[in-house]
Amino acid sequence: MKPQATAICSILPPHIVRKLSDKPEMRDRVLRDLATTERLRGIRQAFTMSLLPSQPGTKHRTIFDGQKTMSLPGTQVRDEGGAPIADVAVNEAYDYCGDTYDFYSKVFNRNSVDDHGLTLKSTVHYGDGYDNALWNGQQMIYGDGDGQYFQRFTICLDVIGHELTHGVTQNEAQLVYSGQSGALNESISDVFGSLIKQWANNQTVDQADWLIGAGIFTDAVQGKAIRSMSAPGTAYSDPNIGDDPQPAAMSAYVNTTDDNGGVHINSGIPNRAFFLAAKAIGGYAWQKAGLIWYRTLNGSLNPNADFQTMANATTTVAGSLFGQNSAEQKAVSDAWNTVGVAPTASQFTALSAQAKPGQQKAATTGD
Amino acid sequence: MRISIERTGGFAGIKQTNSVSTDQLPPEESKKVAALVEAAGFSALPPVIRSTEPGGDQFQYKVTVEGDHGSHTVQVDEAAVPPSLQPVLNWVKNSTRT
Repeated sequence: MKPQATAICSILPPHIVRKLSDKPEMRDRVLRDLATTERLRGIRQAFTMSLLPSQPGTKHRTIFDGQKTMSLPGTQVRDEGGAPIADVAVNEAYDYCGDTYDFYSKVFNRNSVDDHGLTLKSTVHYGDGYDNALWNGQQMIYGDGDGQYFQRFTICLDVIGHELTHGVTQNEAQLVYSGQSGALNESISDVFGSLIKQWANNQTVDQADWLIGAGIFTDAVQGKAIRSMSAPGTAYSDPNIGDDPQPAAMSAYVNTTDDNGGVHINSGIPNRAFFLAAKAIGGYAWQKAGLIWYRTLNGSLNPNADFQTMANATTTVAGSLFGQNSAEQKAVSDAWNTVGVAPTASQFTALSAQAKPGQQKAATTGD
Repeated sequence: MRISIERTGGFAGIKQTNSVSTDQLPPEESKKVAALVEAAGFSALPPVIRSTEPGGDQFQYKVTVEGDHGSHTVQVDEAAVPPSLQPVLNWVKNSTRT
């Protein structure tokens, strides 16, 4: 970018400014001061801005009150930086949305769902006794629950993380929301919803409960959560609600026309694969297992990916990040084998045939 | 006439079924429901109506009406429910609320 024709004047002579801006610790401060000066002088596009590193991501949350109607977005009741108000659902949506933004930003260097600082909008009190939460492609929507079986849907951090992650998937692999690609889409929302909860609570893989939506059911329901990643099919068993229908392995895959081909049902299989891989690796699940899954989502899946593709891709990515035949790659491969989706990545099998113990390159762990 | 609605999907993925037979209703109610179904043009609706929204966790409804003229089923996403069909869904939901 060419400098403006107008001279840039400051109290400090240029040779001192130049020397100061060569020192890394001073550089940013000097350049920002110059940019401010330029702006004050009415120069519309401060050329020094082009020399600055790109601004860190900024979080912008806006919460709306649907007031028990189904019109969107509703009335704005809280904006970024605003104080809590006397409406717990509003404050929960604000806080948990913040945790979700912070997780993606700090762990994966991702600036909101689109990685470009998209404002995160949430509508609470949507509908009358609406027992659901959803992402509609542009914003989050939360009902208050029917009060009989379901509490308000803002009550769980992982629910909010799950919904926002649909936005991330929409901007990355764009997994089609039906059949196996839809079950993967659902699983990815559960995986990152759970990771956000674990990260916010500083839990290791052994401390985490691996439950999704624990706390959404009222006391009237015989169940601990909506889903279990560690033991799909065991989250609830209730005379009114029914039994948790999730399979824990491919042999029990549910073929149905309900639920877009069972996207919330068959997600149990990839959920369990993630749980098994994370447990085998140990430590904090977001650091290695989460990184493998994030990198896979971020470039190794097309919209029609099925479970086989996911097994292959995560195994390949684990090899790239941590080395062929590394403990991490083996954990991922073993996990998929256990749930009945043996990885068949040609890259993986060819290299593992060639590899000799003790000759693995140490891999970088990415960001 | 029997109207059955199966709701699946949603965040929790829990199936909920509601069914009402107009035989068990007072005649006025029965006529009202029949009028709602007629106004929705139900028998002419396509068997599958998908939403074009990318989103996640919306409900799916499978609506079946069985009457003297036979049976017709429509599978429809929450975001794609035709405005004229919504009153039928609301009516069934309200009449089966405990």
